[in-house]
Amino acid sequence: MTLRKLFLATISAATVMMASPSFAATELQVQRFFGACDADFGKNTDVTKAVGECGIITSLINKFAADNPDIKINVTTVEWPGYDQLTAQFASGDAPDIVTIHESVLSDYQSKGLLMPLDDVLKTVGLTTDQFTGAAKEGATKDGKIYGLPIDNWTMLYHVNMDLFKQAGLVNADGTPMLPKSPEELLAQAEQFKQKTGKPYFVQNLANETALFTRNLYTYLFQQNSDFFADPKKAKFNTPEAKKVVEMYKAIFDKGYTTKNLDYGGAINAFLAGEGGVQLNGTWVVGDYNAQSEKAGTALNKGGYAVYPYPQLFSGAKAQYADGHTWAVSKKDRSPEQTAAIGKFLKFFADNDFEWSRTGHLPAYKAVMESAKFKALPHRDTIAAIATLGKPLPSAVQRQFAIQDIVGEEMSAAVTGQKPVDKALADMESRVNELLANL
Amino acid sequence: MAEPRTAGTATARSRRKSVDIYAPQWRNFLFVAPYLTIFATLLVFPLFWGIWLSFHKADTFSSGRFVGLDNYFRLFRDPIFMQSIWNTFYFVFLTVPALALIGLFLALCLNRRTRSAAVLRALFFSSSVLSVTIVTLIWRIVFIPDLGLLSMVYGLFGAQAPAFLADPHLAMIGIAIATVWWCIGLPMMLFLSALQQIPQDIYEAAALDNANRWQTLWSITLPSIKRTFILVIIIQIVLQFQLFGQAWLMTRGGPNNLTKPIVLYIYNTAFQRWDIGLGAAASEILFLLILIAAMAQYLVTRRKADA
Repeated sequence: MTLRKLFLATISAATVMMASPSFAATELQVQRFFGACDADFGKNTDVTKAVGECGIITSLINKFAADNPDIKINVTTVEWPGYDQLTAQFASGDAPDIVTIHESVLSDYQSKGLLMPLDDVLKTVGLTTDQFTGAAKEGATKDGKIYGLPIDNWTMLYHVNMDLFKQAGLVNADGTPMLPKSPEELLAQAEQFKQKTGKPYFVQNLANETALFTRNLYTYLFQQNSDFFADPKKAKFNTPEAKKVVEMYKAIFDKGYTTKNLDYGGAINAFLAGEGGVQLNGTWVVGDYNAQSEKAGTALNKGGYAVYPYPQLFSGAKAQYADGHTWAVSKKDRSPEQTAAIGKFLKFFADNDFEWSRTGHLPAYKAVMESAKFKALPHRDTIAAIATLGKPLPSAVQRQFAIQDIVGEEMSAAVTGQKPVDKALADMESRVNELLANL
Repeated sequence: MAEPRTAGTATARSRRKSVDIYAPQWRNFLFVAPYLTIFATLLVFPLFWGIWLSFHKADTFSSGRFVGLDNYFRLFRDPIFMQSIWNTFYFVFLTVPALALIGLFLALCLNRRTRSAAVLRALFFSSSVLSVTIVTLIWRIVFIPDLGLLSMVYGLFGAQAPAFLADPHLAMIGIAIATVWWCIGLPMMLFLSALQQIPQDIYEAAALDNANRWQTLWSITLPSIKRTFILVIIIQIVLQFQLFGQAWLMTRGGPNNLTKPIVLYIYNTAFQRWDIGLGAAASEILFLLILIAAMAQYLVTRRKADA
């Protein structure tokens, strides 16, 4: 009797297991950065109510899942930027289906044949590259094919506390902040700011930071027409142009024109508490800071919040370092249903790029960029210029995040006085070139 | 004639059956096979694979070509690697004596059968059960400038708190403080168990001889737990050589690579730059360093035990 029961139970279990795939929803493993905010937006499907990168992306994925009950989305949220984990996942054959990847990093994975070209999938859902903005198309294209669905382009900005700028007397007649036009003017204005407000001009996250230093260096190298990656396998950082930039930031540090010892979260808190005039941070905080400035009693509500591209401090190209986010798809065997589900997911994000652009990022689609509703978003009039100013590193440069760490470490050492500037630039160049020589 | 022969054969047969009970039997291998399989696949095989990789120009997605000792030459030309070796020794120097001495001090204080001692023992051990993520989160909240606990305390006196996470002279000390707080439970417990094994009659004899507390400690307690002291030192050296999580989560190895230990260098190299061959070579150097430290301690212990 017991044996019979056991036999029947086994048969039933096997039948259920064999039958279930035909009823199951198509599953997609999605992996992303942009933080976790389930407490606020974990169940939200009304994307218009979400703010900030995390809120909007969480709500967008929730909305997609709600609209497509036949597709089951399993989301893994990784700590920014999540590439160490992704690399390990690829190496162990356990990569997610869809994953956030920076345009600057796409070529690392694409060159190893780990990503699926998306041209065909995008065509099936009616997406073509002529719908992308120029920057988005350039960033997502590798060897003539699209390897990531672009969702934005981003860069660093001057986030300005207008109340402190007014106190410092750094406001033009039309009410806009007075921004510097040369390194000397920057130092003079920072001194004036410090004298009048008793606070540092800059709020920077300098504690054990690399990305900010690197982006600042790249921007002002571009502005001096320094072609430091003319050869994508050999960088040139030990140059007079780089020295000028590092010495400028060193002077800012030495003269106390910046906050010191703050990490990223600390710098945001300090800026929102009115501890300095200008925060150097990316497009991604524009939405959050604008929301803060509309809240009574906050430091940004007192005199207003303004945001601008990095000022043109040198006489070369009008440019600043930029990058972009994409959804990339891992290369693996999939059923037609799974591929179709991926197409639907990508199309959904392309269709909702306006919602994503509310973060502060530039849209990746011409239609959104030219739309009246995008232009009507707060501060887009002052930061629209980044669409033409934004410049990435050449896409042939590999391991851009590892390079960013080396460049940032050395620039940090020079700015904070732990290494002479010349030595730091020489070390920066030799370390980056050692890395590139051993790819 | 036939009978005795039969009896003799039977005796010989029964003797043959009974003598071999301690002889090796291959079927006994089955009992250790599960452990040996895991040991071989998770320890022995990776060990030799790591050595093999260190002689290759390998990246994460391909095993590459044989380059001999080139990865080792690259390592010793890299000032960041040399810095990371120094950092690791500095960290071991900061933490191991502190763990041994504070662990001993706590054990001496809490080696009594009162309820408060039991509560305090549990309390001091409780930090050991936390994960490195929680430990570093707690200490970041303590050290974080302007908003941290340390800043608040210094602020009460109108002073500026030291930047434990960003100051080049303090960053490693900050990590060491967090590590000692995290790891103090194990040495304390080892010392406590050693202290509880010292026979009470020796203390009674010392009391009869009018020995004071200092003399008792110096002449009875400490000599009795000498072997445990060496065990604690060995365990802690081996553990602290493998510093990774605290440095990665608190300072990312900065400022200026001053808190980058060897394991973080391996992580940077192998997983962020995809230079698996170089990372494997650095791992072999770390393996050698830990082996030398453990062997040196082992030899010292053995010599003392022999004496």
